[in-house]
Amino acid sequence: MLIYLSKRLGLSVLVALFASILAFSLLRLQGNAASALAGEGARPEDIALIIQTYGLDRPLVVQYLSWLGDVLQGDFGTSYFFRSPVADLILAKVGNTVILALASLSIALCLAIPLGVLAAVYSGTWIDRICVLISLMGQALPSFFLALCLIMVFAIKLRWLPASGDASWRHFVLPALTLGYYITPPFMRLVRAGMIDALGNDYVRTARAKGLPGYRVVTKHALRNALVPVVGLVAVQLGLLIGGSVVIESIFALDGLGYLAYQSIGYRDFPVLQAVVLLLAVVYVVLVLLADLVNAWIDPRLRVS
Amino acid sequence: MTDLSPPATPGRYSWSRIKEHPSLVIGGGMVLLIVLMAVFAPVIAPHDPLAQNITARTIPPVWYENGSWEHILGTDQLGRDYLSRLIYGARVSLFIGFAAVSIAGVIGTVLGLLGGYFGGRIDSFVTFVTTIRLSLPVILVALAVVAVFGGSITIVVIVLGLLKWDRFAVVIRATTAQIARLDYIRSAQAAGASTFYILTREVLPNLTPQLIVIATIEIASAILMEAALSFLGLGVQPPTPSWGLMISEAKAYMFFSFWLIAIPGLALATLVFAINMAGDGLRDLISPDRRG
Amino acid sequence: MPFRRSLIATSLALLAASPTYGQQSENTVRFAYGQSLENPNPYFTTLRLGVILGRNVWDTLVTRDLETGEFAPLLATEWQWIDETTLEMSLREGVSFHDGSSFEAEDVVATLSYVADPDNRIVSQQVASWIESVEQVDEYTVLIHTAGPAPSAMEFLSTQLAIFPAEYFTGPVGESDAPLPVGTGPFQYTEYTPGGDIVLSRFADYFATDAKGAASLDRVVIRTVPDVQTQVAGMLSGELDFLIGLPRDQADQLGTLPSVNVESGETMRIVFLQINTTETGPNAALRDLRVRQALNYAIDKEAISSNLVGEGSTPINAVCFIDQFGCTEEGITAYPYDPERARELLAEAGYADGLTIELAAYRDRNLSEAIINYLGEVGVTVTLNYLQPAALRDGMRAHTTELVQMAWGSYSIYDLSASTPVYYGGQPDDNNMDPDLIAILDQTAQTTDPEIRAGLFQQALARIADQAYAVPMFSLPIYYAGAEGLRYETYPDEILRFWNYGWE
Repeated sequence: MLIYLSKRLGLSVLVALFASILAFSLLRLQGNAASALAGEGARPEDIALIIQTYGLDRPLVVQYLSWLGDVLQGDFGTSYFFRSPVADLILAKVGNTVILALASLSIALCLAIPLGVLAAVYSGTWIDRICVLISLMGQALPSFFLALCLIMVFAIKLRWLPASGDASWRHFVLPALTLGYYITPPFMRLVRAGMIDALGNDYVRTARAKGLPGYRVVTKHALRNALVPVVGLVAVQLGLLIGGSVVIESIFALDGLGYLAYQSIGYRDFPVLQAVVLLLAVVYVVLVLLADLVNAWIDPRLRVS
Repeated sequence: MTDLSPPATPGRYSWSRIKEHPSLVIGGGMVLLIVLMAVFAPVIAPHDPLAQNITARTIPPVWYENGSWEHILGTDQLGRDYLSRLIYGARVSLFIGFAAVSIAGVIGTVLGLLGGYFGGRIDSFVTFVTTIRLSLPVILVALAVVAVFGGSITIVVIVLGLLKWDRFAVVIRATTAQIARLDYIRSAQAAGASTFYILTREVLPNLTPQLIVIATIEIASAILMEAALSFLGLGVQPPTPSWGLMISEAKAYMFFSFWLIAIPGLALATLVFAINMAGDGLRDLISPDRRG
Repeated sequence: MPFRRSLIATSLALLAASPTYGQQSENTVRFAYGQSLENPNPYFTTLRLGVILGRNVWDTLVTRDLETGEFAPLLATEWQWIDETTLEMSLREGVSFHDGSSFEAEDVVATLSYVADPDNRIVSQQVASWIESVEQVDEYTVLIHTAGPAPSAMEFLSTQLAIFPAEYFTGPVGESDAPLPVGTGPFQYTEYTPGGDIVLSRFADYFATDAKGAASLDRVVIRTVPDVQTQVAGMLSGELDFLIGLPRDQADQLGTLPSVNVESGETMRIVFLQINTTETGPNAALRDLRVRQALNYAIDKEAISSNLVGEGSTPINAVCFIDQFGCTEEGITAYPYDPERARELLAEAGYADGLTIELAAYRDRNLSEAIINYLGEVGVTVTLNYLQPAALRDGMRAHTTELVQMAWGSYSIYDLSASTPVYYGGQPDDNNMDPDLIAILDQTAQTTDPEIRAGLFQQALARIADQAYAVPMFSLPIYYAGAEGLRYETYPDEILRFWNYGWE
């Protein structure tokens, strides 16, 4: 177990490292960092000074290593646009994004588990078909289109919920609903497939044969097994949600990480963008690692491979 | 998911078998209709999708009180015929979906084949590269690249193609690993067939069903991503009609002229829905054992 | 699942802490702005919001009386030119800054010296470049020495040159130890987070004059809401009280509702296409006069102006706003809409088979699209590069842009010195670097004689038109939307004077 753990850990660090190299070099392909850093109205001598101070004339490899060194000490550099430390900016915004991601995930699970179970229990019937249809629709509706429709109905027509901002929990309802519905289908499919498998298993049949009531068999025995793969998907989806909330945060003017990153693309604010990409890669890697460990703990056979 | 039966016979996927899968027939039929619409756009479209007439702007569709048959779906904010833009927009969506997934399919399949067939170090490398790719936030990276190189259909296709190969690699790798252990591959190896021959002639044909299923899912997802990029103004650039761009341009009008976003929004949803439905049907057709 | 519990806890915390901004009852105006303010200090942003904050949070030495158009006292009570290059100003006594310190001559000396020093890199150096040095005479008197005749000195002193406390700046580019910027104006900063909300509150000790009174609102909340439709949604759902710069169509639609009060007005802002003709410019075709003329003939600015931009928009032939001193259309070559002529000119220039040009823009996307379509008609394929303003400015200053769709508001200054020299006088935004033009515009800064200045400006504008260095388009009206019951006033200089706003 210890060997397995250290191997997985080492791999995760390596993945994060490579992701950071990619992010770093990708954004340096074009764009004059020095003139962006010098700000507007900078004279050639200012730019020269900046190039010297920040060492922008050094080879990319050297620049990368010094950036990485700073990052490891918790220094993500200074935003070209806002001229404040990147770490402060990210800390100020990350809360909103995490709340949004967790709320969306909760909504998705609340929708996906009952629907998935229902579809599996009544597999092949019209109930199953309706559940599959709901999931197909969730996959097909573009999230930004759904977001605009929700604003139209709940903010404007009914005036129940605010359309933009982050001042209270009510501001998170519409964006979380949008994202939640959007990520429901993969969960639902997984629960459905897992339940169908589990319901066909011997021990469930035995439980049924023992005369346990149907719903107890479903909840106690089958669902528990069907939920194991869901843990892995939660990790993956949570990572995607934090990165994928760009569009939704911008529509709902929700001041979070995704919107910060989107803005920094427009402003060519590389230090912010690099930091966000690195952060998301690390979050993904950590979540996947956690999911693997949880699964390995549940199912010892996985530890061998 | 995995199908380990010997090479497919044509009869397996005959019309009579396909007929048993209503979602494949309905979904596939819808996709076919949209493809035909895209191919014959110049014939069907009543107007030039780019011709603007800024004295006839935001005319509502024909079913509204002041709509007219001249512009069945009305006109947009620059007075361009909405139906014509919608028809031509199908071309953009489908082209980007197919082209991006072709690139992604090649990358993912090559990686998956190599990793699954050879195993060992090569396999570790493939898994490693795939994990790196998965750790990158797709939308952000795509946005950043498009912002640096400028938005165009070509750039969007390349970016999505380079980003969306992960599912191909994962599935093809797993399937190849299983096929590689089968007897007929073993005997081909023993007979001295070259690795290239085995991979392309013996392994690859058996992966076709999986490839088709993944490709449909990925095409649908690539179409949605193009729409999202265009919606943010960083994808396909005006005046090219793209459904995502049409929604983006219409969003400011949504409170008073809802049809302006509803029409491209529903078109997009219908296309993606149809592709996914067809994909579901294909999956059922290919691996009947997975049906509930 | 443990994260569920923490989610609920976080939600509850949010609920408890949420400051639900009211409107009438709270005497607050919630105002939406489309772009993030990169810096709360007006000297370090090109956004209009920066100019607006500059007036609300700070004071200038003088101001313009809006009724008479004359200069009126503000932080300075009296002023006179001792000679052509020395301006003496007597300062108001008893004025205090938001941090409690009192306003004195040293504050004026420190602020003006700071902004006049190019090493401190304020965004628009021309507003302070005329200042040679500032000298303190006594506690309430200063002498401003100019580098030469400074015709626009009073203009800049009454608009852009906000006075900070002497100890405020600790380094270049606005570096300061103060947590929030400090001024003397009717409102003070109470909250600023980069990219987040800005909250201003009434400054109770404001000195108030006839020309600039004390505020009646308690608070102004400025929220960054990037999308127009989200702004409109906020207005419709009652989350926002005030919007500016709405596209015409949205303003028209909102105007039909009883709960919203929409106003429009002409502004000084003009739209023009800047054409990069510099040797290092990425598109050589633009260095051909015939191509530039073709671009001018190809676009029907009258049609765009009347149909897309709407009432309050006037087509222009010279790159300036007609009410600015020095702006004229007399003797300026006009290019009427003539797509045939455009095609001919392109063919003559060797582009009969078409030409690809990149258009960079940062606002008014619907106008960009109309322009793209018109250019497409004559065979010019346009790729649109839609950027954030700061990124666009970087490109312009690096001379890497081709066509730029500008919407220039001259910092609300009624003198051409805030406009033409910025784009054609060799300053960083100049994309033509025409030595003749630079020479003419340099002379306009050497004299205070109105007649000579007007003549020079006319020459410059005529040369710009003859060389087709730009495609002048039209002036832009601005649309405002206020919630029912909000009293607001609009001015051609687009400054929101929040101190005049109030709820009925």
